[in-house]
Amino acid sequence: MVLDIVVSGLIGGSMFALLAIGFSLIFGVARIVNIAHTAFYMVAAYCIFFFTQRIGLGPVVSMLLSIAIVTCFGLVTYRFFIEPIREHEAAVLIGTIALAIAMQEVMLLVFTGDFLSVPSLVGGFFSIMSVKIFYQQLLTFGAVVAILIALWLMLMKTRLGLAIRCMAEDREVANLMGINERLVAMATMGISVGLAAFTGAVVVPLTILNPFMWMEPLIIMMAVVVLGGLGSLKGSFLGAYILGFTEALVVFLIPKGAFLKGSVALSIMILVLILRPEGLFGIAFEEER
Amino acid sequence: MKAKSLFVCLCMVLCLWIVWMAPAWAADAIKIGVIGPMNFVQGKGHWNGATMAAEEINAKGGIQVGEKKLKIELVKADSNEFLNVTDATNAMERILTHDKVDFIVGGFRTEAVLAMQDIAMDYKKIFIGCGAAHPELCTRVAKDYDRYKYFFRGTPFNSQFLVKTCFIQMATVGAILKKTLGIPTVKVAIVAEKAIWVDPMIEAAKGFIPKMGMELVGVWRPSQSATDVTAELSAVQASGAHMIFTTFSASVGITFARQAGELKVPAVQVGINVEAQKDGFWDATKGMGNFVMTLNTYCRGVEANDLTGPFVEGYVKRFGETPTYTADTYTVIVHGLVPAIEQAASLDPGKIIPIMEERQFKTPSGVIKYMKDEQGKQLHDLSWGPGLLTSLGVQWQDGKMVGVWPNKWKAAEGAPEITYKGIVPYKIPPWVIEAYKK
Amino acid sequence: MGLLGYYFRKSLTICKDEVLVLPSRVAVGVFVIALLALPLFSQSPYLLRVLILSGIFAIFAASWDLLSGFTGQMNFGHALFFGVGAYSAALLNIHAHLPAWASIPLGALGAVITGLIVGIPCLRLRGTYLALTTLAFPIILLGIIFAIPDITGGELGLSGLSRLTGSRLWDYYLTSVIMLISCTVMWKITDSNTGIIFHAIREDELAVRASGINTTRYKLLAFSLGGFFAGISGGLYAHFMRIAGPSTLEVSMSFTVVIWAVFGGIVTIYGPVGAVFILFPLLEFLRFWPEYRTLAFALVILLILLYMPEGLFPYLRDKLEIQCPRCKIRNVAKRKTCRVCAAPLN
Repeated sequence: MVLDIVVSGLIGGSMFALLAIGFSLIFGVARIVNIAHTAFYMVAAYCIFFFTQRIGLGPVVSMLLSIAIVTCFGLVTYRFFIEPIREHEAAVLIGTIALAIAMQEVMLLVFTGDFLSVPSLVGGFFSIMSVKIFYQQLLTFGAVVAILIALWLMLMKTRLGLAIRCMAEDREVANLMGINERLVAMATMGISVGLAAFTGAVVVPLTILNPFMWMEPLIIMMAVVVLGGLGSLKGSFLGAYILGFTEALVVFLIPKGAFLKGSVALSIMILVLILRPEGLFGIAFEEER
Repeated sequence: MKAKSLFVCLCMVLCLWIVWMAPAWAADAIKIGVIGPMNFVQGKGHWNGATMAAEEINAKGGIQVGEKKLKIELVKADSNEFLNVTDATNAMERILTHDKVDFIVGGFRTEAVLAMQDIAMDYKKIFIGCGAAHPELCTRVAKDYDRYKYFFRGTPFNSQFLVKTCFIQMATVGAILKKTLGIPTVKVAIVAEKAIWVDPMIEAAKGFIPKMGMELVGVWRPSQSATDVTAELSAVQASGAHMIFTTFSASVGITFARQAGELKVPAVQVGINVEAQKDGFWDATKGMGNFVMTLNTYCRGVEANDLTGPFVEGYVKRFGETPTYTADTYTVIVHGLVPAIEQAASLDPGKIIPIMEERQFKTPSGVIKYMKDEQGKQLHDLSWGPGLLTSLGVQWQDGKMVGVWPNKWKAAEGAPEITYKGIVPYKIPPWVIEAYKK
Repeated sequence: MGLLGYYFRKSLTICKDEVLVLPSRVAVGVFVIALLALPLFSQSPYLLRVLILSGIFAIFAASWDLLSGFTGQMNFGHALFFGVGAYSAALLNIHAHLPAWASIPLGALGAVITGLIVGIPCLRLRGTYLALTTLAFPIILLGIIFAIPDITGGELGLSGLSRLTGSRLWDYYLTSVIMLISCTVMWKITDSNTGIIFHAIREDELAVRASGINTTRYKLLAFSLGGFFAGISGGLYAHFMRIAGPSTLEVSMSFTVVIWAVFGGIVTIYGPVGAVFILFPLLEFLRFWPEYRTLAFALVILLILLYMPEGLFPYLRDKLEIQCPRCKIRNVAKRKTCRVCAAPLN
């Protein structure tokens, strides 16, 4: 029982973490609340389906291809639809909603609303103390750790990372120091969408595809980000596991109420926010009072 | 220049407005509105079934109404009901007032069908529901007959009968498990999506499972759109269940079947899994849904009567897939509505309704007879039973959906055994055999 | 008699000097008259239905603007109030057999209470935190509704409510008049001192507090007012559709209202109302093109935003009118000098 909860909490949390970190990154740097974030994840999943099932490429090749394509696509949409209205917070908000709906509709037209699925990268499972774990889940968990380390290295050791951190700290001053704000925002958007696509690639073999699959993770992802503190990667990481474990606890302790896991997770987020309005690790931005 | 382009724009909007508002005109045709979520499998089923029906009837020259022969003209309406109930009611009102249809078939999500039902009743048009299984739709008819008499259920029979059939299938499979594997008491876990149509089924199951000599080990309720049920599966396995009673109507059915198959959970799945009724199930689970059993209406190769074969084969030939139950719009039009219209020799609902209530007719899935409630009030609900509608139990066996029930089924002590044509024996998954083999 | 004549002359003068001089005011006048006179030309039940629903959603969108546009308390879960209004009206109507004229205001009071319950924990949150937190409330309520199907009907919802009025035409007039009245009230509120304080809270909450104003009280007032009007629209919706179901609380409902309001232009009240009357019929209009309907809708929003990020109506208004730099009175864009103080307009 305990081990069950630990395993499913870790797996669930890892997926949230991957999504939330991408979302948090672009918010921290460019103050963009990208509702379409999970829509990119959905598009990546469909790309993989297209390459593996329709064209017949190998899973790894199609995964890499999809991540590349979705990242480019994300940059293009950013350049043409989001950047021109970046200064209008409300407009960005509904612009990204409209973008997500548009992507959903295009996928609906191309792939219909049927439920589809893609094969796992690695099939099979193993068991520890009678708890069965998919290799794919192990891979997801490993990927999260790898991605997080890579991201941390990138942020801490490279010039781009420095620029991103500067932007997150104070956009105007960063601009004054000669950092090309537009370029950094663009690069961050690329990383963020790439992360969403990567999530799609590792998570999708465990689940099913349909054009509306972006809605459900969206809510939990936003809850994770708010819980951890907007713009804080550490917070997103921790928040993801808190909510992941909460959901696992609900499923195992009140099996009849398994459908309530979302509601319980959100209630916990609200409780934390009442106690700490800026989230666990958020910074209270003085200039945004 | 600017004023001119504005003027042009205005003119275009005006033209489009006229096109939009202009009533469609057609003289000698009976208009049947087909309403459903057209972007989804369910709506496609509605439309395909109705198309096939209209083509078949029109090829024969149409419907004989008194002296005249009238052709059928279908009007497609996308209710978008999964996403937006307001949209569904607008679509309903539009086909009723603007397209002026005479009859309506379709509808799926209960919340939306209840709202659409009210509109159809306002206009006193016959609305035959093809998808929602909730009894409420028909109890309304009994409660307020004068208002709701225009509503009939076309398919499926209501959820109380669904439960009954499921229990019979469960008992059948339980007996097989007992016999082949020598399990003294079969342990059952209920895994049901969180939806209201399931609630009474679970209550009933809790009472019924011990009566069947089985033991209930737990109830799990994942959400309809859950994308990971490994937690539930681990818990089910820990409970030592031999059989999982599933009730899924949504995507969680695929997730559950796929993950259960991949984890080789040593328990057989019986019950309702709507996704497993579709041809795409094998592909969607990547073959992991092998040996999943579910209630179904149609299955290639299984014939309830002599109408089943031609319908199923014709449908497969026309649309490239096995019909699901929403494609029963075909049955509703060809076997239900059209003969009633011809018999009434009129399009007046007042004359057609009594005929529909009395008729008993053969359809590809069985014999349809509309039932009354205990007080003898008309319910406009479908009767269930041997010789009437029974539905099938189908199992996925190595990439093919085959019928496994009714196989030598006795509805009651001393009743004749029923076996439909084309039924094959039930197969226990090898990993289950291995787990419990002595 | 003389008094009556005086008021008549006065209103004529107001009409001539204050309304006819500005295109935006003329447009509002034309809109009101057209709305009320429409049944003279067409009584197509379908057309009336679309307009009734537009009216109901217009109140909903305007109430979002009142709460979120003016005070800047970004509410991403506005469907909560709509849903609570709809469900409480339905419960009162079905179980207590209250008629629509009683159940709708009481339902709206239910929404006000919800507004306070939600508002209090949200007081400490700001901006995006608030937006994402409020998004959670309707989903939590949805969980509760599914957990107690005996009372709420689960995903079936509560059906069989009594009708608003006897006929479609009266439904139309009732909703149109309620819509016009509540939007006028909302507009008046935003024009009053309270409205100015709301606006100030949005711009700089600290400065407002420094001026000795209890911002907590005003924020809660905004939550209750927004909740009240959204509750009214929810109740109207439930009675018109004769069903209150979980679809009133779905995330897409919360998103749609934000889309309407931002599309029309926030901090205006008239913007969201106009946007609903354009976008809702547009979605119906696109039915002739069913497969591409939602896609076209999303693209229209994206494109309009790209060129008019402030929203459609403020953009149009700025094209047609300019503000006098000296006395801040609005003038037709064609004028060279201000109509009141005669200062040159450039």
